[in-house]
Amino acid sequence: MALRTRYPKPSVMLAMTLVFGTTYVTQGQRLGNHDTILAAMQAELHREQAGLQLPGMQRPYFLEYRLDDITSYEALANFGALTREVDSHQRFVRVAVRIGSYTADNSSARGEGSVLLAPTDDNPQALRYALWIATDEAYKNALRQLSAKQAALKNFESQSPVHDFAEAKPVTHLEPLRSITIDRGAWKQRIVEASGLYQTDPAVHSFSDKVQFSTANLRAVALNRYLVNSEGTTLRTGYTGYAANISVGGQADDGMRLGRDNGSVAARADELESAAAFHQRAIDDLKSFNDLRNAPLAAADDYHGPVLFSGDASSDVFNRLFVPNVEGDRPDLGTAARTQGAYTSSLHARVLPALLSVTDDPLIATFAGKHLLGAYEVDDEGVAAVPTDVVVAGKLQNFLVGREPIRDFPDSNGHGRAAAGQPPRSHSGVIVFKPVPVSGLPATQKPLSDADMTAHLLALAKEQNRDVYSVETMAGEVPRLLYLTHPDGSRQLVRGAIFDELDNRSLRSSIVAAGGTPYINNALGVIPQTTITPALLFDDIGVKRANDEQGKLPYYPPPPIEK
Amino acid sequence: MKLHLPALFLLSTSLPALAAATPPPKAPAKPDSVLLDTMQAELDRAMSSLGTTAQPAAKANPAPPAADGNIKPGPLDDALATLPQPSPRPYFLSYSVADADQISMAASFGALTTSRSGRVRTADVEVRLGSPEQDNTHGDHRNSALATIAMPLTDDRAALARSLWFATNRGYARALDAFLKVKTEQQVRAREEDVSADFSKEPAATAVLPPSPPLDAPAKVRDAWADRLRETSSLFKQFPDVLFNTVNLEASTETDYFVSSEGSRVATPSHVARLIVVARARAADGMDLFRVETFEADTLAHLPDQKTVNDKTLAMAKNLEALRTAPVTEPFNGPAILSGRASAVFFHEVLGHRLEGQRQRGDEEGQTFTKLLGKPILPTFLSVADDPTLSTFEGHPLSGHYSYDDEGQPAHRVDLIKNGVLETFLMSRQPIASFSTSNGHGRAETGHMPTGRQGNLIVTSTKTVTDKQLRQLLIDEAKKQGRPYGLYFEDISSGFAVTNRRSPQAFSVVPLVVYRVFVDGRPDELVRGVSIVGTPQAALNRILATDDHQDIFNGICGAESGQIPVSAVAPAMLVSEIETQRLSQGNNRPPILSPPPADASSKEVR
Repeated sequence: MALRTRYPKPSVMLAMTLVFGTTYVTQGQRLGNHDTILAAMQAELHREQAGLQLPGMQRPYFLEYRLDDITSYEALANFGALTREVDSHQRFVRVAVRIGSYTADNSSARGEGSVLLAPTDDNPQALRYALWIATDEAYKNALRQLSAKQAALKNFESQSPVHDFAEAKPVTHLEPLRSITIDRGAWKQRIVEASGLYQTDPAVHSFSDKVQFSTANLRAVALNRYLVNSEGTTLRTGYTGYAANISVGGQADDGMRLGRDNGSVAARADELESAAAFHQRAIDDLKSFNDLRNAPLAAADDYHGPVLFSGDASSDVFNRLFVPNVEGDRPDLGTAARTQGAYTSSLHARVLPALLSVTDDPLIATFAGKHLLGAYEVDDEGVAAVPTDVVVAGKLQNFLVGREPIRDFPDSNGHGRAAAGQPPRSHSGVIVFKPVPVSGLPATQKPLSDADMTAHLLALAKEQNRDVYSVETMAGEVPRLLYLTHPDGSRQLVRGAIFDELDNRSLRSSIVAAGGTPYINNALGVIPQTTITPALLFDDIGVKRANDEQGKLPYYPPPPIEK
Repeated sequence: MKLHLPALFLLSTSLPALAAATPPPKAPAKPDSVLLDTMQAELDRAMSSLGTTAQPAAKANPAPPAADGNIKPGPLDDALATLPQPSPRPYFLSYSVADADQISMAASFGALTTSRSGRVRTADVEVRLGSPEQDNTHGDHRNSALATIAMPLTDDRAALARSLWFATNRGYARALDAFLKVKTEQQVRAREEDVSADFSKEPAATAVLPPSPPLDAPAKVRDAWADRLRETSSLFKQFPDVLFNTVNLEASTETDYFVSSEGSRVATPSHVARLIVVARARAADGMDLFRVETFEADTLAHLPDQKTVNDKTLAMAKNLEALRTAPVTEPFNGPAILSGRASAVFFHEVLGHRLEGQRQRGDEEGQTFTKLLGKPILPTFLSVADDPTLSTFEGHPLSGHYSYDDEGQPAHRVDLIKNGVLETFLMSRQPIASFSTSNGHGRAETGHMPTGRQGNLIVTSTKTVTDKQLRQLLIDEAKKQGRPYGLYFEDISSGFAVTNRRSPQAFSVVPLVVYRVFVDGRPDELVRGVSIVGTPQAALNRILATDDHQDIFNGICGAESGQIPVSAVAPAMLVSEIETQRLSQGNNRPPILSPPPADASSKEVR
């Protein structure tokens, strides 16, 4: 589940601050003059470029060296005591070798290249040894892949007009080195305390025996990425990410497993929530867990009708159903498809309601005063990030692509991104879903507040003369906090429901209103990503009771709490 | 980074699931009584609660806990009789907590690649339902007894207790599920060949030994070791044909705490330090060649000095270069000598694994030696014992030493084979037809169910000759068989033993250094690509004589119950007939370019 942070009251709708990278580059170049890692990578690259060829075989037309330097820290506490503390620093080199030409080469959907553990010492020669072995292996594998691919292509009548690799201009871009700057001692204390609140805080003490797990953890990551390629690109980029999470749960009396799992995610340590807010989050999650325990089951009979998704819930829906489908991945060999996924033949067609537009703009460095995790200036293939209008008034206009083209998108728009040690893939950076004025309405229409959205939902309830639903947060595909909302505005938390028919079709044709309060979902996954979404009102979503098996309750009570 | 070492007898080069950051607190001078007391209290509470809560069926259970909270196993059929009522009472419950402090670092070509250290505490909860005669672990359900959980690193009673409660609940649910399946399966299947019980009866042990000493590796010590690893690994730069090397240091100190519903209460320490040097090269024909050198001691401070390590490393690198250009072996079937070290590995793989008790029961097991109890399986001059009580052998440390096994049973010396005759097996608390009790060999890595495993396997001989005589015997035997040469296996590394019924009864240990010893007096010739094939019993019966001193192999052995430290001790031995074939390993060309130059990359990025 994505970790996310909620900013309670952003004062301006979609207030975006663009920070361009000029200061970084200047500073970076100064630092770069002393970068022995990049120097060693370039020296080995030049040596291999000159000599890497088996007799009678092709030499590479493209070579790329990437070194990922990952520092991470994780502390985890259960039941008020530290159970794990892990500090790690690792470096990997990834060597990509392409044989053939930009038009047709050895590359496949798996991603080419080889990966080796690299020295954590700044030892140029040892680094070059690792690059040397990885290059040799990657080249030999590339030769095998090329002949296998050429053989496979002979099975198909028509050849794809799409190139295998997009050309790109050489870029030199050096950012300052990143490091973890979090107060470990303070956070360790916070997670230990937070995970023990279930038994110490008077506000939740009454149901402490119902809490089966109570966990708090902190994760911090700093990645520094070094890249050189045979086209002349030299990059040093990086990011930091921090996540402080609470996870509490147990069972309802009928055995249903219930829990709350959320936290604060930030690109800078000082932008994580405060100690007081983290403490309060733990209390709130415990109370919310107890509310869920005591909540009635969702109705046994199916519901089809209006459901209001909060920004938090809608970000999960978009991240699951929408975002992967606009990341343009090369189709299988020999097929005529444009890309993989649900929108392979949807270019210029309606994929969302006319009231929504979507832009992916990794250059949005901050939003409402906080740094965004998904922001970057140059992608992991050395292409400058290009703000890309993915959907304009409901119609799909662009895919997010890296240097592996798809039909109609021959060039990268700076969305080739890589997890540590992995090959680059098309991936979103900062993807923003925003309501647009619907034609026919005055252009000066004000954005809809949360209250407006609720009013809209209630209007539908009254109109249809029945109870409706609103959902505040998701647990994967399942609503975590689902409220049965009465026409008079009162509402009742229910548990044990799942959505039915929430799919790409309902994204296209069921959304009737989008709110004006952006929700920021910063996700510290293997590739950091930010999704900014409004609340959404769907007019026709199915809600039904989940028929999951209910686990047995604990066979004996937990140890008594020492008071 | 792959070593291509097969699963069994694997030299581990990384520490499992570990790496914490803070300098660990000094190990307590006394056993951790807070931990042990909390384990005991929570175990007692679980035993007095489980199966006795006010659930509808509980009344039908005729074995409530005794008033004093102590649990005596109830009548065996109680739980069975009450099924499928909701809550049968466990007849056995144990908590085993491993409190370990470890460091691991590695270097390659003169630079550090890995450095980790940290402390972990892990609890294994074992729940048994039914009766010792038949419980939830029966047949394929052995792992159903086990639940593993990460434990608080601090002595926080409430958190320790709650963690154990959580794991016990989970473990109980799992055990219950398996127990119902066992019951059903027993009604459906034909009578089993081996009707022995699922759990042995053993006296409770009470032995709270002093905790393992602290690792004693402050930053200064670790920095010094990092420099040593850098230096040793940089030696390989003199050998342009060595493609890969790693010099790995691992040290751990661990105290295992064990309490059971039978009344056992054991704390037992273990600690080890190990330096492993691995190098790999590739012959022109693509054959991958590797060598491993290990240094073992009880603590970091007792590992050999840098000169000793470097000298051995250089010798190994030279040997690897020689191997690259050595002729490839031809298929051979004739006499051979296994060096002491090679014999030790051979016995561990070929004999030791097949003498593990659990291999004698179960439909899937090979049961190679099951029916040979009391019969000769080796020449009469050979005896084999497994003795975990030895911490050293002739002054050298033994990795397979322990005082109590992972089921809380005291370690025992076990005479497996006396004068060639099979006497017994390596027994955990899982009985087999011929033996119903443990002999202190129930071993497991944390997170695994214990099974019968080796500790220190020791092979002794009464038919000994000097090395020189043994060599002459080899030449004589080769002549007798009309062979131009015999083989000398100097070093064997790893292999795998397949003992289940569906696979051939083959073993394959990987010889690393093999020489041809010619009958006509030519100098010995190093060959490469040798692999041993054949059936194990046959090979064991063809031992003709041994030399007069034993050699030690210390390593990490992997099998069903996880990775555990073991030792094997054996003299060199002459085998009348051993079948070898060419190893098919690797077909990649050696690197196209030579290694990067030494004056690397002083230029900086513009």
